[in-house]
This record gives sequence, C-alpha cells and structure tokens, in this order.
Amino acid sequence: MGRKAIPPVRQRIVTLSLRLQRQLSDFCLNVDVVCHESVTAIFGTSGSGKTTLLHLVAGLTRPDAGRVELDGRVLYCSTEATNQPPEARRLGFVFQDDLLFPHLSVDANLRFGYERLAKAERRFEPGQIVDLLEIGPLLRRMPQHLSGGERQRVALGRALLSSPRMLLMDEPLASLDQGLKSRIIPYLRHVRSDLDIPILYVSHSVAEILELTRQVLVLRRGEVLAHGDFFDVARNPEVLPLLDEYGFENVLPVELIHGNEGAARCGEQLLRIPPCDRPAGTRLFIGVRADDIILAQQPPVGLSVRNALRGTITSISAAGATRLVTVDVGHKLVAKITPEAVDELRLAPGGQTWCLMKTHSLRLGPEID
Amino acid sequence: MLSPAEWEVLALSLRVALSSVLLSLPPAIGMGWLLARCDFRGKLLVDGLCHLPLVLPPVVTGYVLLLMFGRRGWFGPLLEALGVNLAFDWKGAVLASAVVAFPLSLRAVRLAIEDVDPRLEGVARTLGAGPWRVFFTVTLRLAAPGLWVGALLAFARSLGEFGATITFVANIAGQTRTIPAAIYTYLNQPGGEVAALRLVWISIGLSLAALLGSEWAARRSRRFGNAS
Repeated sequence: MGRKAIPPVRQRIVTLSLRLQRQLSDFCLNVDVVCHESVTAIFGTSGSGKTTLLHLVAGLTRPDAGRVELDGRVLYCSTEATNQPPEARRLGFVFQDDLLFPHLSVDANLRFGYERLAKAERRFEPGQIVDLLEIGPLLRRMPQHLSGGERQRVALGRALLSSPRMLLMDEPLASLDQGLKSRIIPYLRHVRSDLDIPILYVSHSVAEILELTRQVLVLRRGEVLAHGDFFDVARNPEVLPLLDEYGFENVLPVELIHGNEGAARCGEQLLRIPPCDRPAGTRLFIGVRADDIILAQQPPVGLSVRNALRGTITSISAAGATRLVTVDVGHKLVAKITPEAVDELRLAPGGQTWCLMKTHSLRLGPEID
Repeated sequence: MLSPAEWEVLALSLRVALSSVLLSLPPAIGMGWLLARCDFRGKLLVDGLCHLPLVLPPVVTGYVLLLMFGRRGWFGPLLEALGVNLAFDWKGAVLASAVVAFPLSLRAVRLAIEDVDPRLEGVARTLGAGPWRVFFTVTLRLAAPGLWVGALLAFARSLGEFGATITFVANIAGQTRTIPAAIYTYLNQPGGEVAALRLVWISIGLSLAALLGSEWAARRSRRFGNAS
C-alpha cells in the first residue's frame, strides 16, 4: 500500500453555526452558537443534551426548528425546508461505544465509508490512516477480538477514511481506563493538527478536554451556559459546580529532564513527577486534581511535599462552600480551597502564591507531540 | 419403496413449500422492518391483521382466499385478465401456504431486526451509505440468522398446511395434493393405511429437520448477538 505521509496543513478557520431547538422528554434543547475553533469541546453533566446536540448536527435526529451551517453549507434549515440526510452531510461520528460493524473485519470496517466516496473526494488512503493510528496488525481481525482501545482506534479510523468535513465525537474515551485514554489522546491531537479536520468533542472530563483544546461550550439542561476559553468559562460561578461534579483535574504541560528520576520542567520551574522510563526532552501532560493542590504564602519548609510552583493569582471564584483559585504558574492551575483559607492567607487576584503538590498526586498524562 | 404417486406427492409438497417461503419472505421482511423500526397510527391493528392467519381456523383463511382470488372472487376477473389461474392449481396451494406461514416468518424477522442496534444503522448513514444500502448491508446482514429461522419455520408450516389449501384449491392429485392432503385421502380409502403411514413418517422427518434447522439458526443468531 502507498504509505505517503500526510502532508502537514495549515489550520483553516472553521465556522460551524448552530441554531437548534428540540423538545426532549423533560426540557427543551435550545442552542445558538457559532464555533470557530478547530476543536470545540462540549461539556455538560449527563442528561444535559450533549449527545442529542451531536445527533442533531449529524442529521440522525431531526430538530424541531433551527439552522445548521458548516463553512457556508447549509445542512439543515427549518425555514428553507433544507434537511440534508446524514449520508450527504459528510460528518464523521465516533460514538462512546465504538459501534464497529460486528459482521465485518477491521479492514472492511475501515473501508466502509471510504469505498462510498468518489476518488476525487478521498482525502486519505487507508494505508495512511492505518499508519497514523497504528492499527496495521489488526486489519484481518474481527471486531469482537479487539481490546477496547483498539476498537476505538478502528472506529476513529473508519470515520477519518470517510474524509469527513468535521468529526463529531461523543465521549469516545469514556469507556476506556485512564491508561488507554492517555494512549489515545495523542492520536486525537494528530487528527486535530495534522489532518485539518475540525472536531466537536463531547466529554465530561475536564482533563480530557484540556488535553485537546481550550475552547469549551458548557451545556446545562439544554441551554448553553457558557462558551469560550476554558479558563474564562471556568470563572463563571454557574459553571464551576458542573466542572466540580466529576472532579476537577488540571493538566499541566511539562518536559522531562530525567524520566527515571521523575525530574521535569514546567516552564522555568522544576517539578518532581512519578518516575517514568521515557527519554529526556519528552513533553507530556501531568494531571493534578484541584483538590490536591495546597496554596502557601511562602515556599514550604519542613514539609515532605516536593513540588512548589510559584505563580500569580488571576481570579478567585465561589462555588458553594468552596473557593476555586486560579493561579498562573506559566500555565493556569485551579486550586480548590475553603473560604476561611482565602481569608487567612489574604489571597487576592494579582497576589503571589505557591502551589504545593505531592509527587504521587500527579498523574502522568498523554505525551504532547 | 415409494410408489410413483407418492413420489409425486412428496415432490409437489417440497415445491409448494419452497415457493411459499419465497413468496412470503419478502413481504415478511418489509413488514418486519416496518413493525420493528417505525411508529405509526394503527400499528397495533396492522400487527393484529398480520398475525390473524396464525389464530384463524385454516378453513376460514381458505374460504377468504376463495372469496378474494377464486374464479368468481373479487380479484377473479383481474387474475383472469392477467392469465393467472389459482383455482385447483398448485400456485393456489402456494398462496394458501404462504398466507398461513407469513405470521411465523414475520415474527422471526421482526425480532431479528429489533435486535440490530439502530445506532449501527446511524453510523453507516454518517459514513455515506443511503437508507437502502444500510438496510441491505447492515440491517439485513445482521438479521440474517433470524431470516433463516423465519424461512425454516415458514417451510415447516407450509409442509403441514392442510385446511386453507383444501378449502381454497381442493385436493387434486398432481396439482394440490400435498402430503397432508394425500394422507387424508389414503385414510379414506380402504387399505390405504400403509401408504398413509409412510407419508406420516416422511412428514415427521421433514418437519423435524426444518425445526432443528431453525433452532440451529436461532443459536447462531444468539451467538452473533452476544459477540457484537
């Protein structure tokens, strides 16, 4: 098979404009947004209408009213009576369960959409996608003999080979364990940066979203609660409790200095992370839960904690009986503390603080390419 | 072993049963899909009408067929204009068997289609396949073991068809005398018990084979379902 590498492409501006209404069993989904980013994450608790929104965009469910437009093409419009069927929209859908065709081999699954495309419409060859996702050894197997991570990679490959104008991903990693998630995220980052395919990415994991994008749209009971840069959105007092519901995990990009000793660099500052046998210079994400960050007025003395990142407080928001303090340590971190601690330490935006983190509360996340 | 007349009965029975499966399966697939995937007003009524031949006395089914498709029936002139003659003809026996077997294949097909995850059909649509292609390459393909179950049940039912056939197209040697009608005839002849018994054994053997076949297909479909 021809294994021409996929040439790098410049990110073009995507415009997805959504104006949709749909009555659900106990509330009405009502969305009116324009997305310009190459990856927009849709965040919301279960039952907030995230999945329905993706189905409406894909044409699998019909809205009651509204308009869907992707880069100037009208996919649906209730006033013009336009309603492209899903097969004409060319949007790749990746479901939470991979939904591979059980009667087809991996190879035939991958080619299902590809073979329905006219030659001129094919942007990728199967060999390229197989290489990108490293699924070559699986081609002859049947889906039931694949592991969860393998199945999800094949499902992603199948969607990519249909040369979609956009990828719609509905919690594609939710059924995978943490280790597998970290292995798949880099593939998604490749898709985003190498293939020039915009992504709408539904998730309720803050870490997963931050590892892919900063652009987030927050849904609550069918309404758009906030839309924009994650750290701006996160300051919204109505959004915070939602982010907190599944455990707020920060992600911090670091560069390994010495993997086996767990030495890493975050900007100019040093960080002790759990040891890993990856080469020096590897860049990866570190996950740290907002609950696990301690704020201090001075660098620690006589404590076992290894990490103290110095930073500037950018905002303090209230979420019920807790305070979420955003600290810029070269990258933004959110720490969850009590109101009393805020008062006692006299924390205020613009002030300096140290973020203390135990080495073993840090999670080794996916590598950054 | 078998007399020429008995061979004729056996061959005719198989021909009628196979033809009736071929005649009843396509509408069963269409109706099965409709009942499994669509919601519409009067669905319950349609469902009931489709299953009516299962519970009606076969003689009623046969008489209704006679009223509709007999020479002086409602569609009689139309059939005559088309040059189709069903009365006292093996084709009439096929129609009677197909109508009686239809609810059995419908049930199997409908259950099989209900078992296919509609989201797989959705994925296929987003991958660029139109509704018909999705129906043939995903829905029917995954429901295939269920179609076999339906076909084999319909085949077994057709082999045993007696009441509707004899009411609609009578009992004519070489045309409409299938195994059950032949057994009935032999039993009414003095000294016919031996011939009747031979056909009884054949009938039991064929029906059992068809049932075992459908059970095998049902197991296959369950295994497929679990694996997916």
